Amino acid sequence: MIFTIFKKELKDTLRDRRTLMMMLVIPVLIFPIIMNVFVSISASYQKEAATKKIKIGMVGAKNNFLYNELNAIPSSLGAKEIIFYKDTTEMLKDLKNDSLQLASYVRPDFNQYMDSMKPAPIVFYHNATDMGMQERAEAYMKIIEEKAKQERYKKLGIDEIKVQPLVTEYKNIASNKEMIGKLAGGFLPYIFIAFGFIGCMYPAIDLFTGEKERGTIETLLTTPVARWQILFGKMGVVVLSGLTAATAALFGLFMSIEVLDVVDNKEILEIIHSILSVKFILMLYSLLIPLTVFFAGVMIPIAVYAKSFKEAQSIITPLNIVMVLPAMVGFFPGIELNTVTACIPVVNIVLATKELIAGTLEIGLVALSFSVMLTLAVIAVIVSYKRFDKETNVVM
Amino acid sequence: MIEVTNLKKEFILSRQQQKELNTKDKTALAVDSISFRCEPGRVFSLLGPNGAGKTTTLRMLSTIFKPTSGSIKIAGIDAIENPQEARKKIGFLTGSTGLYARLTPNELIQYFGDLYGVSKADLKERKERLYHLLDMNEFQNKRIGKLSTGMKQKVSICRTMIHDPEVVVFDEPTSGLDVITAENIITLIRDCKNQGKTVIFSSHIMSEVDLLCDDMAIIHKGKILFEGTMQDFRSNMQADNLTAEFIRIVHASQNA
Repeated sequence: MIFTIFKKELKDTLRDRRTLMMMLVIPVLIFPIIMNVFVSISASYQKEAATKKIKIGMVGAKNNFLYNELNAIPSSLGAKEIIFYKDTTEMLKDLKNDSLQLASYVRPDFNQYMDSMKPAPIVFYHNATDMGMQERAEAYMKIIEEKAKQERYKKLGIDEIKVQPLVTEYKNIASNKEMIGKLAGGFLPYIFIAFGFIGCMYPAIDLFTGEKERGTIETLLTTPVARWQILFGKMGVVVLSGLTAATAALFGLFMSIEVLDVVDNKEILEIIHSILSVKFILMLYSLLIPLTVFFAGVMIPIAVYAKSFKEAQSIITPLNIVMVLPAMVGFFPGIELNTVTACIPVVNIVLATKELIAGTLEIGLVALSFSVMLTLAVIAVIVSYKRFDKETNVVM
Repeated sequence: MIEVTNLKKEFILSRQQQKELNTKDKTALAVDSISFRCEPGRVFSLLGPNGAGKTTTLRMLSTIFKPTSGSIKIAGIDAIENPQEARKKIGFLTGSTGLYARLTPNELIQYFGDLYGVSKADLKERKERLYHLLDMNEFQNKRIGKLSTGMKQKVSICRTMIHDPEVVVFDEPTSGLDVITAENIITLIRDCKNQGKTVIFSSHIMSEVDLLCDDMAIIHKGKILFEGTMQDFRSNMQADNLTAEFIRIVHASQNA
């Protein structure tokens, strides 16, 4: 009987355009669209930034040190034009209205500082909303400073090696897979949790509140099928929808990487391929199935209680934030799976998935996370049953 | 056969409901110790104004609601002890019943046939008979959402009868229907009676009751004010017509 109800509800759900959009179309398309837009914008921005001729305002003596050195930098490092101003007020006004991209102030006595080998002051003005301009100034000054330093060493007759007392080398012992897992691994479970929740939401409302609102639940309850069987049949569709939406989102993400070539680095691409093994996918789903059952179990009592689609939606939508917010813990570096975090629902799944991607998973902690989620899923199912069995909640 | 003895239903009121009803009572008594009996081959009508307790009573008979106390026997089965077995014997139809708009009549009938455990052969035979009788062949594969009210009503009837129930419960089955569509229901009730089924239907329209029923009970504020045959009712009338007599009985109970 559970399967008969499941089959019918699945057919009904797959014919609902709204659910279909939330369950399949949006999750599949969202990442290819976002990534495509992001990659194209970022590529065009980089191209523009590299080729853009910038105008640099300058207040200072003609042929001052900075002017000469800036002009000496080849335009392959970024084309530039230097415009002299009499005072900083006019120059800063032009910087503010975007006629200039950078502005500089060189003191009239700048050359005296240089001659007496004192630190010579230069002020660069930039507009932080004009992205990349501070970096451009820093890149120029790195070259100019290095050249000036070499000249002073030469004048003073100092061997550069002798003023460099230490040579420190930092070696990373973490594999790239571990780094990706720990730093970016939180993204994967976040997607799964966010889309899993949204995927569960519409079928839960449609199959419970919707049935109540349309007046079909009454006839279903007069059939010789136990209420728990009706609940399980419907719940199965809600869980499947959540898992489908999450899988569709992951599929979309995978397609973005494979088809749209959003990852240029071959090494990273190889690591991503090695992460996506059958074993990884099976372990991921074993963690995510109880989570999705938990989501369904949280939504169903609300959907059973609500009198209209609108009411159910208005209660469940804010719940989305409460449920999905802990998933953002995955983005913070340093928070790891331990006996405490393994007991926090949602957070444990995110951290366990991160460890799974990094390949540093402790099986005891995964078992603990799985048990916590399974217990919560069972509690959520019991609560759902109690609600569904309450006659005044089911029939309007 | 339906046998109802001392049936009582009390609802616990939430704070919100207490506010809405402007009462401090924590419970509301919807049905107050009612007893009646519906015989096979006869049509029993539960007549009462809105809010009298008709729907609650019929929902208890069809096991959607659990009674607070009392007993219900459906075709000899204790419906409180063994609701699932009792449901196999019941066909339930209400005027407000919706249908799954995204399914076709064929899919819906198949679904309910499966839920009632109807064998493939029986389902095929009953489907053919009912489709022919109700003239449903033309629209059997169209989505229910695209059907007219009359067509939907026919699908509802077919769904109610697909497991050949011994007892048929109709809760205000003609409410909101035009006379032509309502005629399908009238015919169905007569057919059920001729087939020896036990039929109970609720209504607040006296003329409909007069047209169909053999036995009747008038219910008001959860209590039965009259129970007997239609013939008894007519012969003991104090008012000029049936509707006036129904109103007189209800008013008399309020003044008592």
